[in-house]
Amino acid sequence: MSHSLLPDPASRISIRNLSKFYKDFLALDRISLDIARGEKIVVLGPSGSGKSTLIRCLNRIEPHDSGVLMIDGKIIDGKTDLTELRGTVGMVFQNYNLFPHLSAVDNCTLAPRLVRGTAREAADAAARRYLEQVGIAEQADKYPIQLSGGQQQRVAIARALCMNPEIILFDEPTAALDPEAISGIVSIMDDLAAQEITTVCVTHEMGFARRIADRIVFMDRGAILEVAPPEDFFTSPKTDRARNFLDRMIRY
Amino acid sequence: MSPGSRGLSVLLCLLFTLTGLVLHHPAARADETPGFIQDGQLTLCTNPTLPPMTFVNGSDTTALAGMDIDLARLLAARWHATFVPDTMDFEGMFPSLAARRCGMVISGVLRQSGREKNYDAVPYADSALVVVARAGAPKLTAMTDLSGKTIATQSGTSYAARIEKENDTLRAEGRTPIIVQQYPTEDQVVQQVLIGRVNAFISQDVELYYRQKQLGGKVSIIFKPDYPDYRQFAIYIRKNAEDRVQLQRAIDDLTSGGEIAGLEKKWGVSGEHEQVFSEKNAPARFDFATFFSALTSVAFLKGAALTLTIAVLSHMMAIVISIPIAMRLNGPDSPLKFILSAYVAVFRGAPTLLQLLFIWNALPQFLPFFREHWFTPFLATWLSLSINESAYQVEINRAALRAVDPGQRLAADALGMKSAQVYRHVIFPQALRIALPPTINEFISLLKTTSLASVISLQELLAVTQIQVARTFEFTEYYSAALIYYLAMVFFFLYLQKRIERRFAWADRNKASANVA
Repeated sequence: MSHSLLPDPASRISIRNLSKFYKDFLALDRISLDIARGEKIVVLGPSGSGKSTLIRCLNRIEPHDSGVLMIDGKIIDGKTDLTELRGTVGMVFQNYNLFPHLSAVDNCTLAPRLVRGTAREAADAAARRYLEQVGIAEQADKYPIQLSGGQQQRVAIARALCMNPEIILFDEPTAALDPEAISGIVSIMDDLAAQEITTVCVTHEMGFARRIADRIVFMDRGAILEVAPPEDFFTSPKTDRARNFLDRMIRY
Repeated sequence: MSPGSRGLSVLLCLLFTLTGLVLHHPAARADETPGFIQDGQLTLCTNPTLPPMTFVNGSDTTALAGMDIDLARLLAARWHATFVPDTMDFEGMFPSLAARRCGMVISGVLRQSGREKNYDAVPYADSALVVVARAGAPKLTAMTDLSGKTIATQSGTSYAARIEKENDTLRAEGRTPIIVQQYPTEDQVVQQVLIGRVNAFISQDVELYYRQKQLGGKVSIIFKPDYPDYRQFAIYIRKNAEDRVQLQRAIDDLTSGGEIAGLEKKWGVSGEHEQVFSEKNAPARFDFATFFSALTSVAFLKGAALTLTIAVLSHMMAIVISIPIAMRLNGPDSPLKFILSAYVAVFRGAPTLLQLLFIWNALPQFLPFFREHWFTPFLATWLSLSINESAYQVEINRAALRAVDPGQRLAADALGMKSAQVYRHVIFPQALRIALPPTINEFISLLKTTSLASVISLQELLAVTQIQVARTFEFTEYYSAALIYYLAMVFFFLYLQKRIERRFAWADRNKASANVA
């Protein structure tokens, strides 16, 4: 991989030499990556390789320590308006993290109403539209505790969509789901791509990764080792570490 | 005080007065305002549970009566001052006098050399100490006959110390000492004899003469020891030779003018009542009429309202104080966190009663600001209970905030919500569910703790009850009425808790389903 030293303002996301420390531990080691508009990126790698840290840097839930992060041509740093950034970059979590005290539809309308000042009726209508898009319109008025894991993850995606993001970060979205629920999430992510929404997804599910990714990013020990289309990555990985990783993942 | 030094102090007073005469207009002498009159007010510290000296004669707890009250009125009139009584527990009176909350103490307090070390005393009526037992108990020939027996006295009085001297004698003779139990009010002392828990109680003769209406036939005087320290009732003021002379002159004038004799006759504070004491007029076991009239009385309603108000206001303030402290204590280490931990430890550690007494009596010594009239017992109680309760509430809030999944904060952050919005809309509603049951528990406990505020003269429900019991001796009826009020308040809040918990259906799969359907 070779990147110019300067970030590319034409990319949706452009990263140059991004590093992140947790005290003395180097979590991200000079990451450089360009992600195009509407692209579906899957980040793979062993546990502790820095995958989650990388995507958490993208919406500045974790601030990076050095290097440059640019989204839509704007440098993201300590001076960035976080409310605006997080309106552009949505996030979906492994454990859904729905607000248990709010119904599905209220989970979706809370941030638009508070952050964007959207009127309740308008926010409600938009939320129901997105809940329909993710296929759970009939569950809109239920509380999270009454929904299955797959349904909760769909609510979480609808909640992110309600902010009209251009990018959605997925942090192991399928880790707690059964295969049937996973296939549901796959079709939702296809829909997102059709809407030109850029997705960056961390996962351990190889089938899921292969099915949705435009490009696979393979990380180990805080560094990016390979970036390749899924067919290339899964059939002929270039590095030993990627090969070992794939061997282990396929064996278990 | 030796005759020599007494002569000296009189001489000094004369000197002061003379200086005053020289410096001021001669006519100013009689009009000279003593130091215990402040801002045209004579504020009196009194514990109105000692009839006939000072008590509440009727169901209105603010209407004081008794010889002491009448005397204070006469004194106020003499100096053209407004009479302002301030009622409180016996133990609270002298600290209040020292803290300048009142100008004088008149509350059936005996003239004693020990008290005169710190305060000036001017006697106004004669008295005698009596040992009283249930009717039929054998008469004593000496105090030491009480060896091994149990007696009751009012706490804050000097009776216990007096008995301790008798005990020294008994121990020297190798005999069993007298056991003393102390109770906060005089009526409770008498009750102990009536129910047979103690063998006798110690009191002053005048009070007993008054009690004959309630006690007639049930108790009798078994001994009248002649202790020099128990012969006179005295007015106490802060040490000031000039004030003392003025007060002595006032009492002398009232004695020679016959006013004091008139008061003694009016309130039955003279020996001629002793004979009538054996009259039989025992009260009924449980008088429902008294019980219902207590239950519906304005005094009880006011007391209960005050109890409820102070509890609600204190707890609200405690919650307001405790939330930021709890949030800070859950955060990273800092010097502020250390200070806040110390705050919680101190106010959880110190007894609530001590905190009340400290704020009311000790605080004005450091900050004279708290001596002023705006700092009422209500405000003092509100302040102490708020601080005290906040220390407990911090722990509840801390646990509740910690119990909210950190992922909730993460999700709200990722949606671009501001920190205040995250707390208000995401974290607090979830923490509230966890904090509610222990908070209501604390509140119920606080509601009952308010009864301690009677010690700093707040007329809450239990103080009202005790004043009524002291007046009538119908303790079963009044205690029952108070119990009904407390239970009614507690049950109301338990009901409220149930109602609020219904709003937390989201945490329970089955209930949530029922709600949606």
